[in-house]
Amino acid sequence: MKLDKYELNAGSNFVVFEFISEGPQGAIKKLIQFTETTYIDVYNLAFGDEDAKTGNINDLAISNNGDSEKVLATVVAAVIAFTEKHPDAWVYARGSTQSRTRLYRMGIAKYLSEISNEFEVYGQIQNEWEIFQLNVEYDAFLTQRKKH
Amino acid sequence: MKIEELNKSILPIVRIDKSLDKYENKVLFPEKLAQANEAIKTIGLPKKKAL
Repeated sequence: MKLDKYELNAGSNFVVFEFISEGPQGAIKKLIQFTETTYIDVYNLAFGDEDAKTGNINDLAISNNGDSEKVLATVVAAVIAFTEKHPDAWVYARGSTQSRTRLYRMGIAKYLSEISNEFEVYGQIQNEWEIFQLNVEYDAFLTQRKKH
Repeated sequence: MKIEELNKSILPIVRIDKSLDKYENKVLFPEKLAQANEAIKTIGLPKKKAL
């Protein structure tokens, strides 16, 4: 990807990723986790900030580090890396809040031209999946690598 | 992979950090996982693949 993003570290199986957000609030460690749901090959994508004092991960934290676009680009990079190792995986993503889901939608829209050759991307609207379209409000997202 | 291929690739460069393996069997975001399970149970997957 050509977009500016943070360096990513991954665990051995590429299901946990870590990166450091840098900005006015300092260095904030962020963790991304792909967790298998009760459905085979369907993974939930979630990410949050690590509390430096407790070590707990908080997906509702508002970092205010002025780098949300770079953070989103890094999360997209993690999805690319994860699905390279797990090519059959479906990745489900939904923001912790409505505004975060909207941020995800804007992020996907921004990277769609780069990823659409490699990924099928769907949006959830009224309990149905449809092929992701620009300027549509979705409740959640689902993606899988295309089979070439 | 050749440099030209790398430049065209969308694959990011990722460094392996085995210290992250401690999170692998831990659900860090249980509420989000529950939501995902509920959504897939209700809606299923897009038509191209049945559960």
